[in-house]
Amino acid sequence: MKKILFGVYAAICIALLVWAFELAVNAPAEMMQGDAYRIIFYHVPSATVAFTFFAISMAGSIGYLVLREKNAAKALAWDAWAVSGAEVGIVFCTVVLVTGPLWGYRAWGIWWAWDARLTTTLLLWLIYVSYLLMRRFASGAQMRTSSAVLGIFGGIGVPIVYIANRIPGQHPGPVFGGDRASGMAPEILRPFLWNMAAWLFWGILVLILRHRFELKQQAIAAAEAEQSLNA
Amino acid sequence: MKKAVAQIAALVPIALLVFALYSLYAAPAEPPRDWRLHMTQEQHDLMVAPIDHAFRVAAYSVTWAIQLGYLAWLGLKWSGLKRVAGRASNQN
Repeated sequence: MKKILFGVYAAICIALLVWAFELAVNAPAEMMQGDAYRIIFYHVPSATVAFTFFAISMAGSIGYLVLREKNAAKALAWDAWAVSGAEVGIVFCTVVLVTGPLWGYRAWGIWWAWDARLTTTLLLWLIYVSYLLMRRFASGAQMRTSSAVLGIFGGIGVPIVYIANRIPGQHPGPVFGGDRASGMAPEILRPFLWNMAAWLFWGILVLILRHRFELKQQAIAAAEAEQSLNA
Repeated sequence: MKKAVAQIAALVPIALLVFALYSLYAAPAEPPRDWRLHMTQEQHDLMVAPIDHAFRVAAYSVTWAIQLGYLAWLGLKWSGLKRVAGRASNQN
């Protein structure tokens, strides 16, 4: 039953992505940026999904730290969300960091600027890469605890990146909730929101897959530990 | 069959990445600065449209290269994990 539900969800995701792509391709060209502005349809949703997943990773890290001494099994379940959120968040953040310069080159004439938004996003990405490296190369009981602390620091970085958008620099200000000039034409807003939904659905699909993988890995590690105790 | 699917899953992101790089490489050059002074906005827009298109295609391809590349990597790790689990159950 679970497999069927997952299959249906995957099919919905693919249908949404196709529909969103169709809308993005047929959206009217922007007056100042021509066709290059269409990168917004995957750059901004990827950033939103990445930051959401980093927040999930932070919640998982907090849950692990709170429960690690009271309920080990529940703490491990939280830890699975923490590592899944961090890893899939990095994938989406990488998309942001690669598509951003491509768009920036067309809009500003330069690939990269050390302005607040770009620099804080790069730092956030580096924090989560170090989180995964710590999990990969450290071992023992302290590995999960140390990485959970790092995961919380990474999560704190998310609102900093959001606020950095309001500091004047090379990166444009917020499209929504910014000054009076902010906002989107309705013909562009509709495909933008569909793309936002499609990438969020896709992100959740990948997150579920990664979470299931982590649970399986934990189960195998527990079985191996039990086996070595019995031997 | 499974091996063929895995190979395709690994090749698609690489092909997308190559396609993205090719789109950027094959994009026409920006019109020289002194030309722009003698062009109308419409002429300029027409000239830069293929460049904008190439960058958009490259960004979309690289997005999917990263996403599918990650999925392929996760799939590889998953099959490795299944092998480990299979060995452990055989030992029992």
